[in-house]
Order: sequence, then C-alpha cells, then structure tokens
Amino acid sequence: MKNLYLFIAVLFIPWSFTLAKYDEFEDGDDIMEYDDNDFAEFEDVNEDAVTESPQRIITTEDDEEEATVELEGQDENQEDFGDADTQEGDTESEPYDDEEFEGYEEKPDASHSKSKDPITIVNVPAHLQNSWESYYMEILMVTGLLAYIMNYIIGKNKNNRLAHAWFNTHRELLESNFALVGDDGTNKEATSTGKLNQENEHIYNLWCSGRVCCEGMLIQLKFLKRQDLLNVLARMMRPASDQVQIKVTMNDEDMDTYVFAVGTRKALVRLQKEMQDLSEFCSDKPKSGAKYGLPDSLAILSEMGEVTEGMMDAKMIHFLTHYADKIESVQFSDQFSGPKLMQEEGQLTKLPETKKTLLFTFNVPGSGNTSPKDMESLLPLMSMVIYSIDKAKKFRLNREGKQKADKNRARVEENFLKLTHVQRQEAAQSRREEKKRAEKERIMNEEDPEKQRRLEEAALRREQKKLEKKQMKMKQIKVKAM
Amino acid sequence: PPRPPRYKPPATETNPALEDPTPDYMNLLGMVFSMCGLMLKLKWCAWIAVYCSFISFANSRSSEDTKQMMSSFMLSISAVVMSYLQNPQPMSPPW
Repeated sequence: MKNLYLFIAVLFIPWSFTLAKYDEFEDGDDIMEYDDNDFAEFEDVNEDAVTESPQRIITTEDDEEEATVELEGQDENQEDFGDADTQEGDTESEPYDDEEFEGYEEKPDASHSKSKDPITIVNVPAHLQNSWESYYMEILMVTGLLAYIMNYIIGKNKNNRLAHAWFNTHRELLESNFALVGDDGTNKEATSTGKLNQENEHIYNLWCSGRVCCEGMLIQLKFLKRQDLLNVLARMMRPASDQVQIKVTMNDEDMDTYVFAVGTRKALVRLQKEMQDLSEFCSDKPKSGAKYGLPDSLAILSEMGEVTEGMMDAKMIHFLTHYADKIESVQFSDQFSGPKLMQEEGQLTKLPETKKTLLFTFNVPGSGNTSPKDMESLLPLMSMVIYSIDKAKKFRLNREGKQKADKNRARVEENFLKLTHVQRQEAAQSRREEKKRAEKERIMNEEDPEKQRRLEEAALRREQKKLEKKQMKMKQIKVKAM
Repeated sequence: PPRPPRYKPPATETNPALEDPTPDYMNLLGMVFSMCGLMLKLKWCAWIAVYCSFISFANSRSSEDTKQMMSSFMLSISAVVMSYLQNPQPMSPPW
C-alpha cells in the first residue's frame, strides 16, 4: 500500500508541472495558439516584422539615406526581438524615431559600401582545413622512408650477388691451394663450410687455411654501403670503389725480417701515417717504382734497398704493371701490429704484439657501378697473392741485410723503452709503495706485541740494507765518472 | 702436400679504432631527437628520429643485438604518434 501511494505521488509531480505551464499562458495568448515550440508566443510578432520589413524597403527605395536608416532600424528591431526571446512577455516592435539616428551618418556609408562589394571568399589557412592535401609534408616524409626501405632491399641484394659472384669465381683456386676454405669459428672441429661469412650487409669474410708456410688467410670483401641511402647519395659526390682485403698470417719460420710496401702513392702516404710498423721502419717517403719498370701510379716504401731488390723480381713486376689499376696497396711486414693505437700516456707500457703478415688491398673495377662479371677480373690478383706467399717464404736477407734489420728493430725497441721509462718507473714505484703498505698493515694487525716488535725490526733491517746498497751504487758511479 | 687444417679464424677486428661508429651515433641521435619531439611536441624532431633509427639499422653490424635497434625504432614511432595525437594539424614547412 505504501508503495502504491509513492507511485501515485510520483505520477502527480509531472502532471502538476504541465498544469503550471498552462497557468503561465492564461493571461497571454490563447491556449489554442500554444504549441510546444518555445517561440510560439512570439510568432505573431515575428510575422508582423516579416510583413513590415519589405514594405519599408519598398517605400524608401529612392532616398538612400532613409533606406539605410530603415535597415538600421530593422536591425534594431531584430535586436529587440532577440532580447525578447530571452525575456518573458510580449514586447512589440516600437516605432523608431528619426531623431535617434542623427549621429549615424558615417556608419551608413560604411555599411552601404559593404553591401555593394562583391562577396570575397577568405582563404582558410592550411592548418584549419581538414583535407588530405594539407598533410603534404607528412606524405613527403613517408615517401622518403619508403624510398629508403626500397634502397635498403636493393642494395643488400646487390652486395649479396657481388659477393657470391666473387666467391664462385675464386672457389676453385682457393680450394686447390687451401685445405680449409670457409670457417665461421662456431664448429668445434675444423671443417670447411665452403661459404662466405656475412658480417654485415656490406662486409663478407672468408677464412682459408691449411697451406704450407702460412697460418691462414683472411679475405674480407668490403663493399660499399649500398643498403644505406645516405651513403649512396654521398657516393654521388665522391666516387669510391669496393675493396677486397686479404690478410695472410705467416708462420714465424717462414718469413724473414723485413718491412716492405708497394701501392698507389696516396695509399702509401696514408699507410705510412697510420700503420705502426711502416711509420717506424720505413722512414723515407714513398719512392717511385719507375726504376723497376713499374707505372707511375705505383710507389714503393721499403726498409732497405736490398729488400726492394729482392722483392721486385720479374713475375712480381709483371703482376704489378698489368693490374696496377686494381692494386691499392701491398704490404709485407714481420712487425705488423695493425694501425697505431691512440693511447693515453699512462697506459702504454708494452710494445704491441707483432705478427708476420702479408696484406693486400685491391680495388674492384667499376668504381661503385660494379657488376658480378667484374669479379672475374680479380682472379689473377689472387694468383699474385699465392705467388707472394711462396716468394716470402723463399726470400732471405743476406748477412748484411740481416744485421741492418736487427739493428733497426733494436733501435725501435730502445726508443720505445725510453719513451715509457718514466711510466715504468712510476709503475715500479707504486708497486713498491703498495708492498710497504701491505707490510705495515700486517704489522698493525698482529695482535701479539712480541710478534709486532719482531716484524718491525725485520722491516727496519731490510730498509737499512736497501739504503746501504744504494749508497754503494752511488759510490761506484762516482768512481767510474772520475 | 696437404697439411692438417689450422685452427679457427681469430675474432675479426675487435679493435675499437677500426669500427665504424655510424650506427652508434645514429642510435644516440635518434633517441635524442625522439625525446625532443616528445617533450617539446615538435613534429619534425620525431620524423628525424624515425629516419635516424632507420639509418642506424641499415648500418648496424650483425653482432649488435636487435633489442637496441627495436627499442630506438619503437621510441621514434611513439614520438611521431604522440606528437600527432596531441596536435593533429599537419606539419608546416619552415619556409
């Protein structure tokens, strides 16, 4: 029962509201005229305004000023209606006064001229438009990215094709000379994979070994970065070519001690600055090879004349002259340790490790626009490499040469030791201090006072002995000096 | 006479002076640009970051882990997306 009463009460409320609405309009217009439109009460007034305005315009057509004034009045009436919308009540349009518009002579001119002007379409700025065309920068960006991706795929494939073309051409020669061709270092046993090892999208490696006199041969195919669009664009400014780098590590007993290089002048100058061994042992500038019949483009860097004489035999000269355009540099060195290491002063305490090596750098013809067929032209160069390995094994310096070579090496080592003398001293000093500190700590840590005393005495005695030794040395030096 | 094959190839070129620094630089640059694009809400920064991460990927060595590449790539993409969500208007050219 309570629920029923509640329900009835709830129903009563909206009904009372509707009744109240009707009450509002009792005084005003007829209920018949009322409809749900909020603006119903103004319908009459609006109609009057509509009928009035055309009349006004027609009657005052001749007189321009009055027409504009009428329009002004019209505007004012509209405004009144606007106000009336918000307020309740029936404000009718009031008849306007001519006197009201006395000061308005300027304004009518302006509005009049506006009404005579053609309609101009204002340009909406691009960032307010909502069409695809305004996004042209973004479309450009995406197109650029797509171009980059396309170039990546094309460049990668080209490099891949070039590498395999090279390998197919050289496979026979390599397999006949080396027992192990292709190894990527992952297998436990040394088995030929017979495949190139891809390090990068533009670098391919091949390791061959199992031949007399050499430990192994590492071939690196260093192609241009065709997969990077930036690089491709840079190469259009500055042409470059693919390179094949071959590094043969010789056994210790199979090569004598000498340093020798042949190549283009530019390459040799650069190598002389960069490479540790060339800078130390070959102090002269690269000499022209014209004496031996080499073309002008090639120059020679050598430790001593005898080495050059020995190296430049007929077959080598033949190789160098015929393929001079493809040779960038050839370096035979028993003190090869790679490029100069830029180390800080305090770190260099030992000479870098050296290895007997033969290095070859060849340029692939085509200067960037190579095709797989160009790889065949590199085959004779590989024969040159094999020949050089055998030659290096056979070539031995005579006695004089050997002496000179040994002297050179001793000189280099001495220089190095002098340079690092200070550092080594400091290192030794710090080690001594560390020892002393460790001893003192041990003494301090000893709990037994007896032991402590004994250790201290032992330390004192040792120091005294050292001082005595030093004094003896000084005396000896003084005597010698005298 | 064929000799028994020798040992494996040595670790090729771990000398840091010889390695090409391009992928590392591009990676760093890409991250810097994407952070700029995110913080300062600059659309062109974000787009340059995307380009940098692509270039870094193209130049990368096979030994580099893909996680680094993917993370820089994702960061640059997120920079672009965030810039456009916050401000859907098209980029205006500098001229």
